[in-house]
Amino acid sequence: MTQVLSIDDVRGKVHAIIARQGKIDGATIRDESTLRDLGLASLDAIEVIFEIEECFDLTFPEQGIDFATGTVQHLVDAVVAVQAAGAGGKP
Amino acid sequence: MDADARAIAITGMGAISTFGEGAGVLWDALRAGRSGIRPLRHERAADLRVRIAAQVPESFDPGTHFAERLLPMLDRTTQFALFAANEAVRQSGVDLRVPDLAARSGVVVGTGVGGETTHDEQSRRLYGEQASRVHPLTIIRVMANAPASVISMVHGLHGPAFAVSSACASANHALAQAAVLIRSGMADVILAGGAEACLSFGVLRAWEAMRVLADDACRPFSASRRGLVLGEGAGMFVLESMHHARARKARILGVLAGVGMSADAGDIVAPDPAGSAAAMRRALADAGLSPGDVDYINAHGTGTPTNDPAETRAIHDVFGAHAPKLAVSSTKSMHGHALGASGALELVAVLGAMREGVVPPTLNLDVPDPACDLDYVPNEARRLRVAAALSNSFAFGGLNAVLAVRAA
Repeated sequence: MTQVLSIDDVRGKVHAIIARQGKIDGATIRDESTLRDLGLASLDAIEVIFEIEECFDLTFPEQGIDFATGTVQHLVDAVVAVQAAGAGGKP
Repeated sequence: MDADARAIAITGMGAISTFGEGAGVLWDALRAGRSGIRPLRHERAADLRVRIAAQVPESFDPGTHFAERLLPMLDRTTQFALFAANEAVRQSGVDLRVPDLAARSGVVVGTGVGGETTHDEQSRRLYGEQASRVHPLTIIRVMANAPASVISMVHGLHGPAFAVSSACASANHALAQAAVLIRSGMADVILAGGAEACLSFGVLRAWEAMRVLADDACRPFSASRRGLVLGEGAGMFVLESMHHARARKARILGVLAGVGMSADAGDIVAPDPAGSAAAMRRALADAGLSPGDVDYINAHGTGTPTNDPAETRAIHDVFGAHAPKLAVSSTKSMHGHALGASGALELVAVLGAMREGVVPPTLNLDVPDPACDLDYVPNEARRLRVAAALSNSFAFGGLNAVLAVRAA
């Protein structure tokens, strides 16, 4: 079972993943930015989701989150929500 | 070259799909507006997030269709292609065994991934069960050209034979290639179409990771659309030079009047309406058709958030004031997205529409989307005389192939 992280820990890791995937400076990432704002095209967004799932050992629901147009805060909240729901672990 | 020399006669068709065996059962279901999308049938269904698919029914028994000596070399993909090719040849009544004709007859089969069922089974043996060897015919079954090769063997075709691969546009690219071969004078008869059977655990997992699959229904052009629904099957056609078809007094099902191909050369997945529009324009020009001549478009219409508005925009760009008068439908809402076979299943729909004057519907179009503002023939088939039609296929990788078809 994965350890449940604080929201700040989650935020730090999510920012790091976005910065690495988008090859951008992590300091430029704002929670209200969308992945599209940050220059991550559709395929980059899918890879960010995959990296987040791998990092936190969880699976996002198939529907309900628009990852390209949702904000960084949405991603952080989604990780926290999935962790809280105990949906962690491999499907 | 005059129009008759460029036009290709379609004299036979065969198919296998979620609706079962035969082009007839496929067309009957599409005309009736019946969905072939069902709960996923898979030994690991419980582990998958993929919930639904359009799979060839379990009643399909290769042993009743193919010679026993042939069976060990047939992956499911090749079984589908061969089944459809046999049906198409039977319908056309063409005798391909005549030596002079055999030399001038060939086969082109589109497939997105080739022998995935075999690849998956044998990989599981190696990596999962730590087996030390795989089946000796693994290569023969997996190779993407297996459908074309086996069809050439069974029907004695000694002319050009090969596979074409362009993901979801594979069948249309194969049909286009067949037209080019016949027009060039390199062949008189080509069996062409597409086949796909790739719903393995690994491939299903890979589609899940793309996050483009719907979990309840395929709803092309509806604001409620949630993605595409995977399918499988094959469609094969007998294509002949018009001269050859007329000389043997063949029944002509429809005329492949033109083909248009283009590459977006942009994003690997997001469609570019300019690329789709270019393929449609080229198909019209190749066929000698004006936009106003077209009555029906069988859309690519995957039901993904991205495809449907982009395709709608491309149709507006090409057809202008005529666009609202077109009947446009996505039969993927019924036969699913059979990937490399899709264009072939959809050509069955186009030929059926022309023959019977009935356009098949787009199912599940329950919430209008302002970005999708054409006449999509929602939910029920419609009586409409179809003299000319386009059939669109736009693949991942930005590869587009459009067929322009005229009534015989």
